[in-house]
Amino acid sequence: MLFEKVLYPFDMRKASLGVKPYVLKLKEAGCKEVHLLYVILPSEWGFVAKEEYDSEDKIEALRGAVDDGYVDGLIRIFRKMEEIAKELEEKGIKTRVVMIPGELDETIGYYSKEYGIKLVALGITDESLSFFRVGKVLDVIKAVDSPVLVVKSPEEDGCQEV
Amino acid sequence: MPLFEKTLYSTDFSPLAEVALDYVKKLKEAGEKEVVVIHVVDDLSIELPEGADLLNEKELYKILPEVDQEYVTSLIERLEAIKKILEDEGLIAKLYLKYGNIPKQIVEVAKQEKVKLIVMGAHGKGLLTEILLGSVSTDVIRNAECPVLIVKRREEE
Repeated sequence: MLFEKVLYPFDMRKASLGVKPYVLKLKEAGCKEVHLLYVILPSEWGFVAKEEYDSEDKIEALRGAVDDGYVDGLIRIFRKMEEIAKELEEKGIKTRVVMIPGELDETIGYYSKEYGIKLVALGITDESLSFFRVGKVLDVIKAVDSPVLVVKSPEEDGCQEV
Repeated sequence: MPLFEKTLYSTDFSPLAEVALDYVKKLKEAGEKEVVVIHVVDDLSIELPEGADLLNEKELYKILPEVDQEYVTSLIERLEAIKKILEDEGLIAKLYLKYGNIPKQIVEVAKQEKVKLIVMGAHGKGLLTEILLGSVSTDVIRNAECPVLIVKRREEE
């Protein structure tokens, strides 16, 4: 099944949301499961233990180890991802919501392999394809074995959180 | 929503392009109706104008050296074979055989045909990846107005 299990990296920008209609549409072509992944970048996570945070309880347990405001931010993102997951579940697609600390390409590459992902659906902005930033997108494409669906949004990077 | 209604399939006739064709066929289940198939030639023994249409401009064909004529004829046959595969799947297929810069021609035909998605192969690792992803795939992703599905397969698989 070519589109059976989709990895949907999410980063709270509108470009991420641009991927959702495509993922929903792929249900008709056999998509049964979608994993929503937020990669907690090293510049954000500091001393957060490197594990898979797939519940609010796990994120809440970080209180004391990291700043409360930071934990609140992670929970806000987690809830947004759960909202999207709910929408997908209502359409009959099984979901998993997870946050993992690490580098973007390494984490997406690791996750794809570990969970047998068949397609990575990546939302990007025009800005992320600029001369200075295009390497990040290429690193993600190179890090995974599975096909990558690149959905581009004209949004200016860094200014439109959802 | 017609997100995959009309797709563009770029092929270099490699095994990886054949893998990409499986995805093109599969998208029929998600509403795909028409596929624009393109192959871009950049290695003829003579220079032609950028974007020259080797499928329909018969005068161009006539000025090609014999060796290039044979090559172009073989490419047309391969494109026709893909068209038949797609038509057998119940899809409408339209062919392009262009001369010129590969990513530029892919993007231009995609815009001209108003496709909803570009499907193409990319090699999986090594120096070749750097070159291919750094040029053809990157330029297509960067300049296309629609989403791009990059199909990969690791060399060891």
